[in-house]
Order: sequence, then C-alpha cells, then structure tokens
Amino acid sequence: IPGVGHKYYLQFTTEDYRSRENVGSCLATVLFEKGNSPPAVTINCADTKDEKQIQEEDNAFYQKLKQQTKPIVANDIPDSYGNIEPAFEPVWALAVVGSSKIMWEKSTENLSYSMAQVKSAKQWIRQDDFIEFDYTVLLHEIPTQEMISCHLRVIWLPGHPLKVKYFCASDNQWFEETSGMESGSAAGILQEKEEN
Amino acid sequence: DRVLHIVPKTFQQVQQVQHLCNTLLLDLWKPLLPEDIWAGEDVHVRVPAPLVQEVKDRLDEHRISYDILKQDVQTLVDQSVPRVGGSSRQGPAGYNYTQYHPMEEIYQWMTQIREGNSELVTQHDLGKTIENRTIYYLQISQPSNKNKKIIWMDCGIHAREWISPAFCQWFVKEILQNYKSDPKISRFLQNLDLYILPVLNVDGYIYSWEKERLWRKNRSPYMNGTCYGTDLNRNFNSSWGTIGVSYNCSSNIFCGSGPESEPETRAVAQFIERRKEDIVCYLTIHSYGQYILTPYGSTTKPPSNNEELLQVAEKAAAALMGKYGTSYKVGSTSSILYNNSGSSRDWAHMIGIPFSYTFELRDKGSYGFVLPEDQIEPTCEETM
Repeated sequence: IPGVGHKYYLQFTTEDYRSRENVGSCLATVLFEKGNSPPAVTINCADTKDEKQIQEEDNAFYQKLKQQTKPIVANDIPDSYGNIEPAFEPVWALAVVGSSKIMWEKSTENLSYSMAQVKSAKQWIRQDDFIEFDYTVLLHEIPTQEMISCHLRVIWLPGHPLKVKYFCASDNQWFEETSGMESGSAAGILQEKEEN
Repeated sequence: DRVLHIVPKTFQQVQQVQHLCNTLLLDLWKPLLPEDIWAGEDVHVRVPAPLVQEVKDRLDEHRISYDILKQDVQTLVDQSVPRVGGSSRQGPAGYNYTQYHPMEEIYQWMTQIREGNSELVTQHDLGKTIENRTIYYLQISQPSNKNKKIIWMDCGIHAREWISPAFCQWFVKEILQNYKSDPKISRFLQNLDLYILPVLNVDGYIYSWEKERLWRKNRSPYMNGTCYGTDLNRNFNSSWGTIGVSYNCSSNIFCGSGPESEPETRAVAQFIERRKEDIVCYLTIHSYGQYILTPYGSTTKPPSNNEELLQVAEKAAAALMGKYGTSYKVGSTSSILYNNSGSSRDWAHMIGIPFSYTFELRDKGSYGFVLPEDQIEPTCEETM
C-alpha cells in the first residue's frame, strides 16, 4: 500500500507439532507499516481438533509433570541425533509454546524463527499448582542463519494463560508476556504452515 | 544481566531484599511480588547489568547469601545414546545407514564401498580443506565405450545439516545394491556417470560432532584466529558478495574474503569447471525446509531454461510426495526462500550446467537440523 507499508493476506492450515496432523485452518491479514512497530494482525481460525481432547491431553501432561518429586533437569532436547526421551517430551513441548511467544514478538517482515533446540531445562517446584520451568532455547533465525540463545521462564497451569518471561542474547531488555486471549496449551501445539 | 538466587534467612533480610527490589525496580521472577517473599524461600531476581555490582554489594553488606542462577544442569538422560551397530565396521554389509556417522566412519565407509564395488566405484581426491583434511568423492561409472554425461551431487556443505551426508551415503548404497536388479537404475548407469561427494565441509562436519552441533560454516580462521568460518554456500563466484550475505566473519552467512577464498570452494569449483561440458546435472543437498530450489538466489531474473527446470522439479516433488506424503515446495530461491549470492547452485548454472538444483530435505522446523535418526530412512527413501 503505497505510502503506508505492505499488507499480506494469508490462508493457511495448522498442524499438531508432533503428529503433523491437521488441526485447523486460518485466514489472516498482516499489515507491516513503515517503521518498526509490530504489525497489525487480524486472524480467524477454525479448529478441527476437539476442545475436550486438547484439555484432556493438557491435563495428562500436567499430571505427569506434577507427579515429579524431584525437579526435572535436562539438557539438549532433542540431542544431537534428534532423540527426545519420552519422559522429556512435555518439557520440550512447554519450551515450544514458550518459545512461540518469543518468536511472535521477535519476528518481523524480514526475520523469521524456529526453535532449534532446548539447550537446558530446569524445573522449579512450586508450593502452588503451577508448573514452572527455566529454559535456555536456541532459535534459528532466517535468513541470517544465526542461532539466537534465549533464556525463557515459563509458568503454566492448564486452563490459564501461559506466563512467559524471556530475554535473548541480542536483546538489551527483558520481556514479559502473558497470553491474554487463549490459554496456553502444551499438548495441542501448533505450527503454522503457509499455504498462500 | 544476571538472575540471582537469594535465600533470605530472617525476616529482616526479607525486608532488605524487598526494599532492594522496590527501590531499584528489579524484575522479580520468583515470587512475582515482593510481598510474597518469605524467609527460607527461594528468591529469583533479574538484575540489569549496570546494577549487578550494586545489588551484590548491598546483599554482602547485609550478609544475605546469594548465588548466580546458572543453567547448572546435569543431564538425567544417559548421554551415551545407545547407538548399536554404529561402530561395527565390517564393511557396507554391517554399516548402519539409519544412523548418523562421524567423519572417521564415513572415510572408512568410502574405502569399503570402493573396495567392495571396484568394478563400478572409484574414489578420488578433490582437494584439501583449510585444516588439511582430504575431500573425497566417489565416482560410480559403468565401464563402456560411450562417453557418458555426468550427474554431480554434493552433500554436507553446511556442517549441521547431518541428514545431507546421510542421504549421500544412502544414495550410494541404493545404487550399488540395486543396479543389477532395478531396470531404472541399470538404464541410468548405462547412460550416466554419478559423482557423489558425501561430505564437502569436512572440517565443519567434524566440528559439529565434537564441539558445536549447530555449526554451519567451514573452519577457516579470520581476524588473527579470533573468528572462524566462511559460509561455503555464499563463497562461490556467482554474484559473490552482493546480497543475502555478511562481510563480517562473526556472521553465519559470512561470504569469505573473496569469491572462492576457501579451499573447499575452490576444490569443487575447479573440478566442475574442468568437466562442465560433460556435467548435465548439479545437485547440492541441504536441510531443512523441504524445498527443491532452482536458480537463482541472487536475482529474481529467471534462468534461460526456467520452464524446464521447474517442470522437472515438480515431477520430482510429486514422486517424492507419492512415497510418504511429504510435501516439498518448488521454486527459485529468490522467490520462495530468500535472496542470497555466492551459492554453489547458482554458480553451477551460470557456468552452463543446465540442471542445477538445491534440495532442502526434511523437516519444516519441528526438529530442524537435529532430525531424529528414525527419520533418516523415510527421508532418504522418498528422496530416492
């Protein structure tokens, strides 16, 4: 749009991060205005995955993590060979959701990200019901091909918005985000796949 | 910035910590509010770099104990991933193609392939890497009096893309195991010679095994050894240094000090240049993204044989999808990926090789460069 910026019209499907099954489709517009402000986004999605099933999976996840008596500590998920221990899958999943918040904030018209690896994960056992994890994650930045290291703190309870705090190696300030609208769901993780 | 772990022991210390947080406006991570700080309970607080010393001094002053929250993790997982069969070196019969192999094993594998298939395979020295290791390629050539055209395929130009060398090894195995029984393959070999380079960036590949899994470039020292590595796929003489690169050694897309500044680049370029009349197809294998990329990356101007290039690529993508449903996108790098100059694929086309493609193998970012070994087989099967 001359004088204003670039507007993109997107139609895409979403898939479950692990099973790669289709879980919905979305229509969106993204307007990048001149200057560095985050883009204006309108989006409408139709989920094909069952809400109840998502809740059940979340609760199962949550129970598994809550059953820990000792805090979970791990690094390199996946490892160099791409393996993820089944016991650490939920840990990885939570990092993916937390990282998606970082990527949402960091992405620009010219920079995109994916989460390459969890370098370290450490659980903080809490007295209340929440699950808390400290992570170092590596984000793969395109097109620079750099690996950006981010420190991520995630606080989660199914049915509640995910609380995320993070800072990345290149940032000079810390960011805090609470997902306002949707509750963070570690089980039904989505990865957008652009179709248009 | 630092995240400090403080455990106030007395009510007085709690008050002192609360005071500190409030006056310096520190970012409390745990608990979230100063009023929730209790004696004997963990406090995690992020202190901006300029205030770190002051905070430490104040804590020392009040004899409040703290430590720096490191990612002091020790792994619960037994890091010696059971890699059964990975070290059996009985020859190709014992070689596990569904596992990733370190360079030493790949060197040995090449020797065994050559020795076990001497009627078809010869091994050649392409040149040396910056750390003086040898770059070998395998030539699969059925003896005949025909002057055959050549298909060249190189893998492992980027160190962290482990699925790429895995594919080259798989490819060689498939050809050699099936050329007698599979009519397609045997017809192939009657008319074409295959030149396969399993690992181009040998130094980088070794580095990604021993030091840093997500390393990309080669290991060429710059700035007096304070900075390492050129992105070999930005180092070729195809609009070198014009777009999608960095001139800074610390970048992962550093294009080098000049076109073909790197010995690895030169080794490949010199060979291909010499044989270009006979090379009909140049393939270079990368990951990840699931693309079949056509020239160019440096410009959106289409190559002269664009129609044909795309047609062939579309057919390949369709065949690939037919196997496991994996979808690959087809197009020129500049239109579906991003702009970049100095790529080997662009260069190959520019010097006259008609069919020049970059393959970006699985996946689309879930595992990215650390693709699980259980995906080696399906990835290779479908790409075959």
